[in-house]
Amino acid sequence: MDISVNGPKIYFEIPIFGGIRITQTTVSLFAVTVLLMIAGYCLTRNLKKRPGRMQVILEKLITMLYNLVEDTMGKHNLVFAPYIGTLFLSSIMGTLIGMTQIFRSTTADLSVTLAWAIVTSVMVWYHNIKNFGVKTWLKGFTEPIVVMTPMNIVSEIAQPISMAFRHFGNVAGGSVLTSLIYGALAALTSFLFSWLPEAVAALFPPIFQIGIPAFLSIYFDLFSGFVQALVFSLLTMVYVGSACPPPAEKPKKEKSK
Amino acid sequence: MLEAFEAFVGVNFWTMIFAWCNLLILYLFLRKLLFNPVKNMIDSRQKEIDDMYTEAEKSREDAAVMKADYEEKMNRANEESEEILKKAVRRAQLREEEILHDANDKAARVMKRAEEQVELEKKRAINEVKNEVSDMAIDIASAVIERDVSRKEHEALIDEFIRTMGDS
Repeated sequence: MDISVNGPKIYFEIPIFGGIRITQTTVSLFAVTVLLMIAGYCLTRNLKKRPGRMQVILEKLITMLYNLVEDTMGKHNLVFAPYIGTLFLSSIMGTLIGMTQIFRSTTADLSVTLAWAIVTSVMVWYHNIKNFGVKTWLKGFTEPIVVMTPMNIVSEIAQPISMAFRHFGNVAGGSVLTSLIYGALAALTSFLFSWLPEAVAALFPPIFQIGIPAFLSIYFDLFSGFVQALVFSLLTMVYVGSACPPPAEKPKKEKSK
Repeated sequence: MLEAFEAFVGVNFWTMIFAWCNLLILYLFLRKLLFNPVKNMIDSRQKEIDDMYTEAEKSREDAAVMKADYEEKMNRANEESEEILKKAVRRAQLREEEILHDANDKAARVMKRAEEQVELEKKRAINEVKNEVSDMAIDIASAVIERDVSRKEHEALIDEFIRTMGDS
């Protein structure tokens, strides 16, 4: 029994720009995009003033998203709601698509989560500079005392990295753990039938693999996937929200995180 | 073909580019097709409901004002009609009294005139009787004394007689 923990499989490499590797992650990313586009298109094809059942659910979810954004970032930051929603959907769908066993979870690839985290950081920097000015922003690094400057810079860089690793680690760790448990269950099966002659024992399928991993999947894929998507979106909201204070407070200096 | 894998914990710049592209495409697409239309729909419905409630509230207030107005008018009309009735009754009473009074007056007048006429008749009758009596007296007297009594000569005498006879 050998359990291998691999990164995304490389399908082929386009030999330009020093080699563009098309991996499982790339394929999954496009699959998620296409799926969400189709879903979005189908759900909003005929919106009505008097909604049907599907539209009520859809509206409820979208209202929840807008309420969440409003609670976390404030009413003036509602423009970010579509981005947060996209991020959340990309994340949770990216995690869940791994359950199909055809695609690999996009969020189980550090490149993807890091790319998203960098978007968040860039948004934070952009809005900090836009709302407070370069000087105030740079001066924020020297607070509370000048000695803290390296620490502040490190924390600024650590922020996207920690976000990326948190998300990546949860999903990838979950998949590693799941495959480990699969292996363990197979081992348990073969141990159970070890008293039989080898030829007879080989006839039995690894029966413990049936059913039991489903419960793990509920935790590692559904629950963890949802929580991580929520955490990632929430952190993005909090960071970007603190860079975009309400219009009245704009002149006031706020410590950049 | 040998299966090749990325590092388990590694960053591939091109994958990042793909992630960004997908995120951007998805963001633009969903914003245009999912989030904004649904949000607009929710908002417009909310606005419609708010408008309806405002309208209903306004109508209710209008109705209340109208009702008060009508009630006031109704009360006034009632009062007016009562007053008119009262006035009419009073006028009728006055008129009744007047008519009665007039009738009484008229009756009294008629009565008086009748009495006067009776009196007049009586006087005339008396005068007639007096004349007759005087004529008769003269005839009798002339028969008694057998000579013609000159009416002219004795008129005063006769009158005196009649007066003493029964003027009463």
